[in-house]
Amino acid sequence: MDTFEYKRPGTVREALRLIATHPDAEIIAGGTDLVTLLRDRVRTPARLVDINGLPLDGLRWSRDGVRIGALCRNAVDDPRLAAAYPVLVRALRSGASPQIRNRATFGGNLLQGVRCPYFRLPEFACGRREPGTGCAAIEGDGRLLGIFGTSAACIAVHPSDCAVALLALDATVVVEGARGTRRIPVGDLHRLPGDTPHVEHALRDGELVVAVEVPASPFAARSTYVKFRERASYAFALASAAVAVHSERGVVRDARVCLGGVAPKPWRAHTAESALRGRRLDAAAIEAAAEAATAGAAPRPDNAYKVELVRGVVRRALTELLVK
Amino acid sequence: MAIGRPLSRVEARDKVTGAARYTADTRLPGMVYAALMSSAVSAGRVRAIDTARAEAAPGVLAVITHLNRPQWHSTPAALRYVETRFPLADEHIHHHGQYLAVVVAGTREQAAHAAGLVAVDYETRPAVPTLDAALPDAHQPVWRFEPEFPTLLALGDPEARLAAADVRLDLEYRTPYNSHAPMEPNATLAHWDGGSLTVHETSQQVHLDRPVIAGALGLPPDRVRVVSTLVGGAFGNKTAVWAHTLLAAVAARQVGRPVQLVVTRKQVFTCHGHQPPIIQRLRVGANRDGTLQAITHHTVNGTPVLFDRPEAAISPTGTVYALRSVGVRVEVAGMHMPAPATMRTPGDGPGMFAVGSALDEMAYALELDPIELRRRNHLAVHPLLGRPWSGKQLLECYDVGAERFGWERRAPRPRMMRDGADWVGFGMSSAQRLEHHAAARAAVEIRDDGSAEVRTAAPEIGTGNLTTLTQIAADGTGIAPSQVDIRSGDTTLPESAPTSGSRTTGSTGTAVHLAALRARQAAARLAVADPRSPLHGLPAERVGAARGRLYDVDVPRRGETYRDLLRRNGRRSIVEQGFHDPAGADPRFAYATFGAHFTEVRIDDTLRRVRVTRHVGVFAVGRVLNPKTARNQAQGGIIYALGGALMEDLATDPVTGRFIAPALTDYHVPVNADVGDIDVSFVEEPDYNAHPLGAKGLGEVVAVGVHASIANAVYHAIGIRVRDLPITPDKLLRP
Ligand SMILES: Cc1cc2nc3c(=O)[nH]c(=O)nc-3n(C[C@H](O)[C@H](O)[C@H](O)COP(=O)(O)OP(=O)(O)OC[C@H]3O[C@@H](n4cnc5c(N)ncnc54)[C@H](O)[C@@H]3O)c2cc1C
Ligand code: SF4
Repeated sequence: MDTFEYKRPGTVREALRLIATHPDAEIIAGGTDLVTLLRDRVRTPARLVDINGLPLDGLRWSRDGVRIGALCRNAVDDPRLAAAYPVLVRALRSGASPQIRNRATFGGNLLQGVRCPYFRLPEFACGRREPGTGCAAIEGDGRLLGIFGTSAACIAVHPSDCAVALLALDATVVVEGARGTRRIPVGDLHRLPGDTPHVEHALRDGELVVAVEVPASPFAARSTYVKFRERASYAFALASAAVAVHSERGVVRDARVCLGGVAPKPWRAHTAESALRGRRLDAAAIEAAAEAATAGAAPRPDNAYKVELVRGVVRRALTELLVK
Repeated sequence: MAIGRPLSRVEARDKVTGAARYTADTRLPGMVYAALMSSAVSAGRVRAIDTARAEAAPGVLAVITHLNRPQWHSTPAALRYVETRFPLADEHIHHHGQYLAVVVAGTREQAAHAAGLVAVDYETRPAVPTLDAALPDAHQPVWRFEPEFPTLLALGDPEARLAAADVRLDLEYRTPYNSHAPMEPNATLAHWDGGSLTVHETSQQVHLDRPVIAGALGLPPDRVRVVSTLVGGAFGNKTAVWAHTLLAAVAARQVGRPVQLVVTRKQVFTCHGHQPPIIQRLRVGANRDGTLQAITHHTVNGTPVLFDRPEAAISPTGTVYALRSVGVRVEVAGMHMPAPATMRTPGDGPGMFAVGSALDEMAYALELDPIELRRRNHLAVHPLLGRPWSGKQLLECYDVGAERFGWERRAPRPRMMRDGADWVGFGMSSAQRLEHHAAARAAVEIRDDGSAEVRTAAPEIGTGNLTTLTQIAADGTGIAPSQVDIRSGDTTLPESAPTSGSRTTGSTGTAVHLAALRARQAAARLAVADPRSPLHGLPAERVGAARGRLYDVDVPRRGETYRDLLRRNGRRSIVEQGFHDPAGADPRFAYATFGAHFTEVRIDDTLRRVRVTRHVGVFAVGRVLNPKTARNQAQGGIIYALGGALMEDLATDPVTGRFIAPALTDYHVPVNADVGDIDVSFVEEPDYNAHPLGAKGLGEVVAVGVHASIANAVYHAIGIRVRDLPITPDKLLRP
């Protein structure tokens, strides 16, 4: 670990000033990810701005939905949230361990670093970590890496479960910066790598995530999350699916099928959603959606198994909704 | 009797309250901290190393590299060091993570920070990164494990027998790098007092470490004391002296202060041992009547480029089942890998995966029940030694296991058992581990307050030996176990067997048993010779001992306590030594421990991950000293092997050979939710031919055969035979 300056502001304004006035400033929330990145010298900030003193905690309900503070912990245990947005609470519960969820925040979860092993080990070339250095994963072990949205420069997957659920719920990320407040749809928060894998997200320099807004929607309540991993608990997704379905008179009006663990960002499977729309949600429709969810997959030999896993998680998640 | 009772661990309270002291908890006045800097390349040379920034960093007291290290006084070849070169030997780099510098500073953070400032100019050479890439180099190892296991063996005429067999199988099994993944990182606290060195070390074997450390530093062994009280998990990665220990010692000498060095988690995974990748080719021939005819077993394992280190995966091959002909061949292939280390169930773990799987494949080929095939080839005599096995209740283990498991519900063919979305499969395997011995000494002291103390060096690595050795001493002296203290893990104590290779119960336990008996006999002799003793004049053999009291076995009312006897005689204590002679077992027999594993797996057809929902293990290990710690060891061993079967894989980068999962986040071991119901029982029959106590080793046999049992159950469930571990979801895809 390298040395750094540590600041703990009490207001959002002060935090923004502390970030803006230092080119090498980094925000720390729960620290569950950042501390490991510091320890392994993946990140070497000169200033750490600890935002835990900011009033960004808690849930605020309104007719339009819920606003979740950036510092709300991943362990959030709120019956109303669980009833209104089952997919979100299931995704959160499937992540990490209880101890980590007690520390981890919503803002940090969305902006956590990728789990590509080469990104996490500075001995390897990684263009996401250090622009222009190449990508050791291309010639390397890609078993855990992406099958959608990757590029010749980067094939990492975004590890967040929560983000996949938020995408399925059409959530918006509220950010604040020197130039005021912006709202970024969750689907636009993370960038596909293209040839600039180091540009990981849509936040501008000096911006802070202050909240996530989840709208009330006709399909939120009929939603679920299925995560498939190598062991029963405490592992990142090999593939996951967040699904939500709104039916009227037995016919699917609208649906969301979003995938985790397979792309550099939470991945929306539009073709799978189309495959459901206008149909009765039955075994045949589910099968069609599961197949459609793999459209556009570009696996490598070592991660081709994820294509089958995508079918599996979508099939399982939609089947769970059948009984609801 | 204390033996046979389910006593809780003597150190349990300390462990759960946090009072237990591990090596890294030890503090000394003036102590400073060291950190190691690791190579970023897998093969090559240090062209230049710049330590100026590290030396100038806050708190730094010393930076030692190959350029300024003190001279080593011996060569590792002559010592049981883990490699053939001592650390910082020269500028050459032979594996990733190789330590290139040690930095000493006032705090642990300062040391870690400064270690990151050491700048190396590398000359990089291409690495041999994988076992497949190394195969052209496969060769007979120079170092071998004869005579315990032959590296090359042909018994009978395996080729002819194979050719003549009704059914022949030719199979390849693979196991990847596995990590010991102990919770406690390797750690050292070294401090000098004049010309004498004390090393607090996370060690399974203080007495074996001592000559290595002394030899490297040029000290007489009696100037080195090694202390290892509680070890927080080891599984074999603490059975060797590693670089950090020697570097902490030279650093402490250089800065003139005690130096603590705790390696990082990443370094535990990288440079403190692993089980290397192994490829095993088995050819098995059998006749239609189910008699095995021949087996050949050819293994190749990765070894460091600098030396040959064979894995004894062939150890079960010739001795488990009755075979007319056996051929084994062990080879190694050089890779740019850090040094491996013996890992719990060395040889037998991966070997039994292959042999136990191949037997299952043969059972299907012959359309025989897998237990039936094993029964028909049961072996009563060790085929290489020509002696009958002692204490081989393997057939009973099959019976008890099949009954407890409900084996009769097994469908004869794969893909026949379904429960809702799940495929269900049953698998089994037998287990065997040769009983190893080592010389061991112990002392038992009976004190004038009626208590006793056991002294033997065997460190407690989590297996429960402080408790079982206490029980042995309690019964030997006739003093309640609550009145028996134990001191361990220190070279100032009598030299035990190392706490490895399942030798504590048999070897160290025997030494404690003999010491305790002798202490009791000495007390009895004192009593019968003492005119003031109620036992005066009795033959010493007529004196028994129980509950802290010596008594006349014919007239139990007649007697007195140890306390009264010693006090009256002005004796503070009676101390006696016990010695276990490794050649002491009855030479007419061959010795091993045995067992049978039965596994139920469930695999969701859509999302195919193997879940071990039930596992039954039945073991024949002679007498069970403590059912509670024994059960705990057995469950732990099964879970440990379950990890190897289903998830553990120290994945490597195919280009550099560097480990890419050097963290507990990425190197998956089972979590609680992965562990189904584990049922452990014992076919208990004391084996007095092996040891006077009748108890044999337990810590490893419990894990041998689990991999095969699980893989066999997976095949039974879905008809997919996985021959390369671990059995991860990508290997179970729908056809
Ligand atoms: C062992 C382990 C297992 C895990 N398993 C899972 C899993 O299964 N599923 C899963 O989804 N996650 C998993 N995680 C990741 C975990 O969810 C994240 O580490 C956590 O959510 C990060 O939150 P934090 O508050 O601790 O963030 P920090 O570590 O404090 O920060 C993470 C990043 O976000 C930035 N950041 C934080 N807050 C803000 C903000 N308000 N505005 C702008 N930037 C900000 C920081 O600068 C930093 O770059 C796991 C983590 C660990 C260590
Ligand atoms: S895949 Fe992306 S994150 Fe991984 S090494 Fe390549 S550039 Fe870095």
